[in-house]
Amino acid sequence: MRDQGTPRPATARRVVLTGLDALSAHGRGAALVSSQVTSGTAAFATVERFGTQAFRVHRAALLPDAGTLLAELAGSVRRALAQAQADPRADAGAAACDTLLLAVHSDEPTPEGPLSRALSARCGLPAVTRLYTTACVAGSTAVADAAVLIASGRADRVVVAAGYLVEPVQYALFDAGRALSRDGEVRPFAADRKGALLGDGVATVVLEAAEAAEARGVPALAVLAGWGRAGDAHHVVRPRPDGLGLARAVDAALRRAGVGADRVGYVNANANGAVLGDSAEVEALRLVFGDAVGTVPVSSTKGVHGHALEGSALLELVITVEALRSGRLPVQAGLRTADPQCPLDLVLDHPRPSTARYALSLNSAFGGANTALLVGAA
Amino acid sequence: MSAPAPDPSGPAAAQGLVVLAAARWPERPQDSVAPLPGFILSSFQPLVAEVAGRCLRGRPSVEPAPRTGLLLASARGDTVTRAVVAAALAEGRPVPPLLFYQSNPNAVAGHVAARWGLDGPVVCTAPLGGTPESVLADALGCAALLIEDGDARQVLVVAAEQGGGAGESDHAVAVLVAAAAVPRRLVTSEGRDQRS
Repeated sequence: MRDQGTPRPATARRVVLTGLDALSAHGRGAALVSSQVTSGTAAFATVERFGTQAFRVHRAALLPDAGTLLAELAGSVRRALAQAQADPRADAGAAACDTLLLAVHSDEPTPEGPLSRALSARCGLPAVTRLYTTACVAGSTAVADAAVLIASGRADRVVVAAGYLVEPVQYALFDAGRALSRDGEVRPFAADRKGALLGDGVATVVLEAAEAAEARGVPALAVLAGWGRAGDAHHVVRPRPDGLGLARAVDAALRRAGVGADRVGYVNANANGAVLGDSAEVEALRLVFGDAVGTVPVSSTKGVHGHALEGSALLELVITVEALRSGRLPVQAGLRTADPQCPLDLVLDHPRPSTARYALSLNSAFGGANTALLVGAA
Repeated sequence: MSAPAPDPSGPAAAQGLVVLAAARWPERPQDSVAPLPGFILSSFQPLVAEVAGRCLRGRPSVEPAPRTGLLLASARGDTVTRAVVAAALAEGRPVPPLLFYQSNPNAVAGHVAARWGLDGPVVCTAPLGGTPESVLADALGCAALLIEDGDARQVLVVAAEQGGGAGESDHAVAVLVAAAAVPRRLVTSEGRDQRS
């Protein structure tokens, strides 16, 4: 599996996270969302936001008072900037960030113009530099690019925002494609898993050069120690069964960080309850951890907050960071019947205390796109 | 009428990249696109696959280089599939199941990656510039990050747009790029080597 690629140069700057925010069906704010998600409080309910009579499945994880995607993204960006002490309103004249990257399904129209333009205007930030549409790895791909910009010295502070709020079009497509769980339950890694359910998810991270954060006297919440991206080269939408593409993404992230797999103390998995996808991820973890695969705590929090599509990877990164910070690993919700083919040490029943120093957040998408983000404790 | 395809060599050099192969669609009046099995109703996915194939068939090496990534950039994306789904919902008709896959740009990216053995990163973007030149420049900039960081050795950049009315037709370019011998800091914004 090991790919002799070019690692990050030794002169690269360390990348830290100084601001975080998340929104899910549980509420708004990284601490609130992470607390609810970690305890395994599943948020699925009957969809009332729009009619689902024409569909097979009628459940999703929705925030009851969710505003528009623009409003929720703007709120999320503001909260993350406030935590990073980079609020443009409080620091008039100074740029709150060098670069703003956005991960959404499209640059949809809003009453204030295209979403990207309206978001930067509302938040008083520079124009969005790039808009990522790579489905479930859109946010993590943007984070990797942000890290490259910072590590290479081209930016000191980058804001990455991502979001998806459940709406009729994607819901109809997932329903038509029979990707939603017919019985309205999400069971990642379970023997009786039947598919995904959608969920609201918006998140923001503020990434910064460690030296820049230190110079400002702003504490690092965590280190983005490594990142990796690799493709399956296998199929239009099906994952490569042997997990090699995802394993190569993890390998790149570990190599970039100079961290061995034996130092990873938690994996926030991509698993969304799909039969093929979850199995491929198990195989990827076998390749990464070898004989130790059954000793590394794993959970997929999609069993709690649902699949937030373009918002999912960033939401799960925030949850992973909060897991390291709190020393509590999120529960794998929804699992009642263990899959005999799954050797993973799933975090079951209760959040697990942890002193892990490194955690992985993994994501995969249609087209064989895989990403791995390695988070280190600050 | 189609927009003229931008010359990729200058913008690529400005990003520290060298062009290994390139193709565009259309190449001539009444140029055609081969149907793409599994994709229906929309021209977007066949267009992407066609221009990608033309580019890769012309590359120097037959074997795919390890860690060749795929960057699919489209400012407007698949406008036809989006309209078909919206109309079906508005009229209470079922959504064709195949549209589940093709509604996402990753699907055709996955087709191209599988067909040509591209096992590097798969990235899709919606560049915010309004011209073919700005879309390609943004896509090349994104590809340059993938190469600079080491996740990709080469990147197949595809920039594709469906016609947006007023006589505008589909158009696309595909460029296979790798790191140039001349570092980016020594290249002007026009792609010239400052040392010469």
